Amino acid sequence: MAVKIFDRETILDLTVNIIPLFIIGFFLGLFLLYQAWGWDTLPSVLMIGLHVVPLVTLALLTYLSGKAIAGSEKTGDVFHQGQALVPGASEKEHGGAEAEPAIAEAGDEDEDEESGTEETRAAE
Amino acid sequence: MELNGQLALTVLMGLFLVAVAAWLARVENWRSYTPLGSGGGGYGQESGYVSQEKPSGFIRWLTTVDHKDIGMLYGAFGVTAFLVGGAMVMLMRAELTVPEMTLISNQFYNSLMTSHGITMLFLFGTPIIAAFSNYFIPLVIGADDMAFPRINAIAFWLLPPAALLIWAGFFPVPDVIPAQTSWTMYTPLSAGVGQGNQANAGVDLMLLGLHLSGISATMGAINFIVTIFTERAEEVTWANLDIFSWTILTQSGLILFSFPLLGSALLMLLADRNLGTTFFAVDGGGPMLWQHLFWFFGHPEVYILVLPPMGLVSYILPRFSGRRLFGFKFVVYSTLAIGVLSFGVWAHHMFATGMDPRLRASFMAVSMAIAIPSAVKTFNWITTMWNGSIRLTAPMLFCIGFVSNFIVGGVTGVFLASIPVDLVLHDTYYVVGHFHYIVMGAIAFAGFAGLYYWYPIYTGRMYQRSLAKWHFWLWMIGSNVTFFAMILLGYGGMPRRYATYLPQFTDLHQVASIGAFIMTLGALIFLWNFVVSWYEGPVVRDGDPWDLKEDSLYTTEWEWFDRKLKTAVADGGEALPGGEESDAAEN
Repeated sequence: MAVKIFDRETILDLTVNIIPLFIIGFFLGLFLLYQAWGWDTLPSVLMIGLHVVPLVTLALLTYLSGKAIAGSEKTGDVFHQGQALVPGASEKEHGGAEAEPAIAEAGDEDEDEESGTEETRAAE
Repeated sequence: MELNGQLALTVLMGLFLVAVAAWLARVENWRSYTPLGSGGGGYGQESGYVSQEKPSGFIRWLTTVDHKDIGMLYGAFGVTAFLVGGAMVMLMRAELTVPEMTLISNQFYNSLMTSHGITMLFLFGTPIIAAFSNYFIPLVIGADDMAFPRINAIAFWLLPPAALLIWAGFFPVPDVIPAQTSWTMYTPLSAGVGQGNQANAGVDLMLLGLHLSGISATMGAINFIVTIFTERAEEVTWANLDIFSWTILTQSGLILFSFPLLGSALLMLLADRNLGTTFFAVDGGGPMLWQHLFWFFGHPEVYILVLPPMGLVSYILPRFSGRRLFGFKFVVYSTLAIGVLSFGVWAHHMFATGMDPRLRASFMAVSMAIAIPSAVKTFNWITTMWNGSIRLTAPMLFCIGFVSNFIVGGVTGVFLASIPVDLVLHDTYYVVGHFHYIVMGAIAFAGFAGLYYWYPIYTGRMYQRSLAKWHFWLWMIGSNVTFFAMILLGYGGMPRRYATYLPQFTDLHQVASIGAFIMTLGALIFLWNFVVSWYEGPVVRDGDPWDLKEDSLYTTEWEWFDRKLKTAVADGGEALPGGEESDAAEN
């Protein structure tokens, strides 16, 4: 079954890297449009390279890591960090607010939204 | 006659080494170590071969290939180096309480400054991170051990000789003096040319030691990359990999691309010094070549040191906030972003060298961009604590101290990334204050958060909590007093690296020294607590000494520890320690 990896949630997660990409792209555009020190082949090409290489490398790594993380998120069980091997650990709710209190206390209605849909892994 | 004496000494040393090798071969059956082929042990288990084959006593530590033991060795080495580096800087701070030279010579001051930097970065920073990663990553990702246990052991055992070489100039060896090049080893000073005394063999030994520590770090990095990629348990998918492992993976990638470059540059420098090559000579490749090569390594090195501590804080801080890490994936992606961008900012250390303004502007742009991922993490830590159920245990205090100091160190760094500001503040104490906020205020704080957080696991006992809090507060106050005074000194125009200064800077230098003495007191308290609690602290009998289960924040390494306590496998043939029950939970 085909799973869409780069959905809205994943794109939102990746914004953290899209912002530095935008900053580098902005400065590259600025320096190309307004050449305060003129054009000299070697330094100017180096200047473009110093922007383009980090830009492309970061874009590539962001794509690959997004694919790896979001891909395994959508095809397997997801646990909170360090808990995948803890017997009885609760699964993470996909797309849920991660800073929610970790456990909902009995009778506390405010905190029921996360625990209500939790599945529990069978203890080994 | 002299030649015969040297020959006899060489033969004697050779015989001694053969005798050591023969002795080691006798005391241990090396073929009994079959780490991965045995198939023993499930995830996080004490693998069968470890508990059965480990020799006892001192030999165990010399021959071990168990990742936990190697982690302990790294930890012991790192803490020892920290004390040495700390003692060095205390001599310097004592000297700096008065403007003129009184206690030590200015050459000795330069030697201490060089050694303090190299010791703290390469012999404390990297090893203390390796201590945690070796001990805990195989446990947390469900691996039996590291992918290459023997390479892991070799990587550690390269460090003690590296330290001896780096410190060789301080030993009473005739005609060998310590390096005075500072940790940046700029040519032509480090090439030993001119009227100075840096053509001395002490500099060569330091360079060789540094090279050796780089080889050690590279071997460790390859091991971690392979371990995290191939040895993870089935359940630990990329989405389930914990943040500390992500930061170690990124750090290992950085090491893999940057340390070999340092190694090459060091060999070129050694060749310039000893073989008459001209890689960095003014008439050859030029001194700027060294700066480019060094900082292409040097800036990623900053992130090699800071990323895993960020991972430690991201891992530990939520446990005492009663909630999950806010924006876990933001932290992961921003870690990777820092990893990539760290290779595109190196020349911001060289803004004042007169390079082409177009290149300078490019490095400024990427330096501004790299601030974003670091800031994202900071907001994540703050948001995690926001409205959380915070427990101010010692590890949590150190994590909060990390965040606080990282903000000051980070913001002062953003200013330095701006070319006009940097041109004013370059080579002043402002820079020293900025990076000490990061390396001491943040990196060392996170290291000590880890040492306290996992103390029950690696010692089986609990430390004295009130002493740990004394340690924290003395450090928090001391580091801010010292490093903020340095920032003010920088604003006043006090140049860095000088052993003497103008009388107008006396007050702030004295304030900085008072802060350093406060930190020394904290370090002594730590040392006392660390050692005494190891022997006499209350025994931890519960696998959840931090009450993490209450908030569903219990993690794999504690689950492993709990199973270890319940199954009570005698480790190395020693009897299990008895003693009173721990009431380790702090409130």
